[in-house]
Amino acid sequence: MDEYLYLFRGGQDKRSKQSPEEMQAHMQKWGDWIKVLTEQGKFVGGLPLEEAGKVVRENGDIITDGPFTEGKEVVGGYFIVKVSSEEEAIEISKDCPIFDHGGSVEVRKIYPMVS
Amino acid sequence: MRIALKNQAHTAQVSNQVPELVDSFFRHESGKVISHLTRKFGSENIELVEDAVQEALFKAMKTWPYSNVPDNPSAWVLRVASNKLLDVLRREKNFSEKVEVIKREGATSEGQMDQIKLDEELEDDLLKMMFACCHSSLSVESQIILTLKILCGFGKAEIATALLKSEDAVAKAYTRGKEKIKAAGKRIKIPGESKLNERLDTVLKIIYLLFNEGYKASQGENLLRRDLCNEAIRLTDVILRNPKLARPKPHALMALMCFHASRFDARISRDGELLTIQEQDRSQWDQDLIERGRFHITQSAEWSELSAYHIQASIAYCHCIAKSYEETDWDRILTLYDAHMAIDPSEVAALNRLVAYAKVHGANKALAELTSSGIEDKLGKYYLLYAIKSDLLSEIDELELAKSNLDKAIEMSQNEAERTYMLKKRDLLEAG
Repeated sequence: MDEYLYLFRGGQDKRSKQSPEEMQAHMQKWGDWIKVLTEQGKFVGGLPLEEAGKVVRENGDIITDGPFTEGKEVVGGYFIVKVSSEEEAIEISKDCPIFDHGGSVEVRKIYPMVS
Repeated sequence: MRIALKNQAHTAQVSNQVPELVDSFFRHESGKVISHLTRKFGSENIELVEDAVQEALFKAMKTWPYSNVPDNPSAWVLRVASNKLLDVLRREKNFSEKVEVIKREGATSEGQMDQIKLDEELEDDLLKMMFACCHSSLSVESQIILTLKILCGFGKAEIATALLKSEDAVAKAYTRGKEKIKAAGKRIKIPGESKLNERLDTVLKIIYLLFNEGYKASQGENLLRRDLCNEAIRLTDVILRNPKLARPKPHALMALMCFHASRFDARISRDGELLTIQEQDRSQWDQDLIERGRFHITQSAEWSELSAYHIQASIAYCHCIAKSYEETDWDRILTLYDAHMAIDPSEVAALNRLVAYAKVHGANKALAELTSSGIEDKLGKYYLLYAIKSDLLSEIDELELAKSNLDKAIEMSQNEAERTYMLKKRDLLEAG
């Protein structure tokens, strides 16, 4: 079993303009997805991220608002899942509710640590 | 790796619990919190309030799936929205003027007020906003749109779909209406006794229109329209929970809506076609809603007041308790329509009265009544007139005239479901 990182990018625009009813329905989708992955023992962890942040460069000499040059690329949250292959990691990611709002999921394998 | 993650307090505390919230929780919280914060911080700030509430709900949407829903989700939304609003206000130049109110209000949002008192206050604020949204100085369209947007938490696109309007038209009417709310300032309150009945009438009228808008026959399933009916019932519930406002008229309106809503599922066949009350499977009528309506109709009779809502509720009740269409008490329904025409004559009431009249006195007399009463001249542009006339004519075997009248009705109807229904009827007439 390997661990994969999902980075959820984009979709902010549409997501933040939802009506209250749509937001509740969207929240339910994320909750249901996490529940299914947890029950299958595939969910290792994850958290949502605030939209705003800073980027620190040059030993701290340059600090900018960011990293969002383009809204569609902002990371809005992450999961770590435990699955048997990259194919499975990709297959599972297709259920991500972020696609409702035109966002994307970046799927990255985490290096296994040598014990 | 795994150890690092496990020690992370920040990892989602996933229990096997999906957020369990009541239906439309976000929508109703939006209405409550916007009303409350607008009353507290002034109606001139309503846009800042709307943004703060939207942000709070957005935060809930993003964070709650990862853990459990907070023990008191309502308090959470209120607190987060208040804090966001305070942040924005603090950044404003005229902050000092607001320091006092913020200090005072800040204390309450920190939970010094007990929950029961806070709930009462929230409900009171929702009522105040209801009176502000349903005000006769606004166009009826604006009143309905303000009600749906502010009190019921509908999005503009949802309002457009539900009311069959363009999103642009909704947005414009909303902006216009909101300007008046902003200007109303301290006048956002529950009116004093001298004006209460009159102002309450306006609120009830808007709720009634909202319900009718949702109840209008439409093809297949349109959940948003049903939501309009649910919202109308919810708002009336809020009115009735206030002892000062729990008067006969709102009780009568509530009874009326419960009786009609009890037939919601039975009105549409499995194939998505509209069914008349005659064709409906009465076992599908929602007995709980009928029971609820019965309670309110009893309450509505407490005073000697009689309104059109009372009469319409009584008529709807006659249908609810009839075991079959044939066993309907048409004599009583006709008497009730006579009373309706006496206190609040309307086109629809006149036509519905005619249907009852035909049941009691026969189609021939009803047709004569149609001509002699002048209804025909007055309602010449109304499709239902021709549909009813067609029914009466076919009953006395005037099939050709029945067909031509039905054609007229089909041509004039604006509603797809009704047109489909009449076309089916037209085929039957053709087949003889």
